[in-house]
Amino acid sequence: MKKEYAENTSGKIKSSFEKLNLKVIQPAKNWLSKNIFKRTAIIIKKTFLDIYSLKKIIITLIAILIFPLIFVLLPTAVDFGLISPNHAATIIGFALIFPAFFWTLGLVYTIIIGTSGAPLIAEEVKSGTMLLLISKPISRIKIFIGKYMAVYFYGMILSFFSIFLIGWIGVLAKSGNIDHFISLIPFLTALYIYSLFILFLFTSITMAFSSIFKKARSASILIIFISIFSYIAFFLIRTLTGQFYVTFQLYHFDLGYHLGNVFILFVEALNAVPPSISWQTWFATITGVYNLTSTVDPDQNINLGGLEKTNYYLPVFSLLIWIVIAALLLLFGILSLKKREISV
Amino acid sequence: MIKKDSKTNLEIWSDKLTKIYGKGNEALEAVSKIDLRVKPGIHGFLGPNGAGKTTTINMLVGAISITEGSAEIRERKAGTVAAKQLIGFLPQDPVFYEDMTGEEYLRYMGQLGGLQKKEARLKAQQLLDFFNLFKARNREIGTYSGGEKQKVGIAGSLIHDPKVLILDEPTANLDPIGRADVVKKIKELSNRVSVFVSSHILSEIEQMCEDVTMIDNGKIVISDSISNIKKSFISDLYLLDTNMNEKLVDQLKDKKFISKARIDDLDGKIHIIPKDAEKLREILPQMLLKNKAKLYSFNQPELSLQDIFMEIMTKERGNKK
Repeated sequence: MKKEYAENTSGKIKSSFEKLNLKVIQPAKNWLSKNIFKRTAIIIKKTFLDIYSLKKIIITLIAILIFPLIFVLLPTAVDFGLISPNHAATIIGFALIFPAFFWTLGLVYTIIIGTSGAPLIAEEVKSGTMLLLISKPISRIKIFIGKYMAVYFYGMILSFFSIFLIGWIGVLAKSGNIDHFISLIPFLTALYIYSLFILFLFTSITMAFSSIFKKARSASILIIFISIFSYIAFFLIRTLTGQFYVTFQLYHFDLGYHLGNVFILFVEALNAVPPSISWQTWFATITGVYNLTSTVDPDQNINLGGLEKTNYYLPVFSLLIWIVIAALLLLFGILSLKKREISV
Repeated sequence: MIKKDSKTNLEIWSDKLTKIYGKGNEALEAVSKIDLRVKPGIHGFLGPNGAGKTTTINMLVGAISITEGSAEIRERKAGTVAAKQLIGFLPQDPVFYEDMTGEEYLRYMGQLGGLQKKEARLKAQQLLDFFNLFKARNREIGTYSGGEKQKVGIAGSLIHDPKVLILDEPTANLDPIGRADVVKKIKELSNRVSVFVSSHILSEIEQMCEDVTMIDNGKIVISDSISNIKKSFISDLYLLDTNMNEKLVDQLKDKKFISKARIDDLDGKIHIIPKDAEKLREILPQMLLKNKAKLYSFNQPELSLQDIFMEIMTKERGNKK
């Protein structure tokens, strides 16, 4: 660096301020200009590096993988050496589908995304660095989008590795055959597509909170509350209140139910894991997507019908509703930052 | 004097710029209908704490919304990206990304300002050199002294080659050496960019600026060149120093031909603004004789900006009472 600088100073560019080529850099005038994206990309890079740390990633991955590991270590009365790779992948999928939804892409993932995004605007405004940022020729919309995208990319990478690893853990714990992992790819793909959806929703929530809250801690606590409420509280409400839940149509507000509904939509769309009472029972208990009473012989471990869905909402409606809500939250976050008074 | 509604050749222009916080009975008017006319050069923005300087500046840079009126930077609406391309801004008590090195910070600011990566690096190094921070370029900003932080802050505001530099109290919280260093750099910069600098350290403003705007309670109380302001104030003030200042000041206050008389905290002399200067010259010897006071000095000084500021503020606040 010093050598390069020395060359600069001795060459045609002198280091003295008087020699600076002063010019007014024109702001990008239209959306097709690459400058529009360049400044946003700089925010994305800086924010991503702020969020990312190897230590944090490793701790997160360990936390993410513990619960699925317990499930795949449960004994299975199947000799994996004798069955087809597809059948083996199905058995592994049975073990992983619930912990993947509830834990890996559920509680842990949403809390990690929420707490990573919550400080990005709130903390910068509170500390005063946002004042320096917004005085630069970059719009607040781009600042918001840059930070939003950084969280999204971080979440994409995190879920990719998490899903890849739970697939491997499942295969290694059950059979150790790489062909089984290949057959598991449709299931892992379904998980990844679902993770992009849940990432969109929780990034929008966390960034909207970050835009309106003065303290990052308040935004983080609220996100954690939403996450726990979605995955655990409604499970308790559903279980304890029984018919009350249906009579008063509480499922309209049950995020856990809607997320389960969307999750099953992707699993079914990719034919990732066939229906089976073994995993649907877990799912029914936590999300309410299935009725716990079965119309088929419960002695069959694998059956064609599995449990019946409660069908409070068509899965595609649940998907559309929460995509719209996420988009509105994104818009709300942008507008909140745009209107926010920024002073120390 | 510049015509009130002419924006051409002005770096900063505002018309009835107003900021009101809150609504209804809770409403607080922090800045009230101020018309700024900032010409090229260094323009001082003065006022006591809470006068509305930072609020005004925050409106100019788009950090807070304008309640009423309008403001422009070189004929571009304040707060827009086009206007921000033309300004460099250093807030009061700036906070930096403490874990970034000086060079990383400047490169980041440069790229946000629209510079290419290589260009930003070169510019960062040039500015670090200009501000005598080149050796500290690879140190984290968290380890910088107060003066170094201010300088890296000014460098960060300059890196995208703005035309107008807006500095909010750039020397506040610095020791005298750091202050002198920053003032020197600001003066050097004035060859390249116009500077709009707020401060309540008036001696520094006097060293740096050609024009000043003074505000109090959110309103402009005076805006002109320092020389014009001094001319208009020179005939008003007399300094009297005797062996019994405290006794004499009380007697002077009671005289009808005296507008104001007070003992200055800094020089300990009696500062007198007479309504009738001739009468003062006539009566003063008699007063001295009567009190058997020893006269040390009696003169009509050229006022410092500090004196003028104090006189204006005293008058303003007196009028309100």
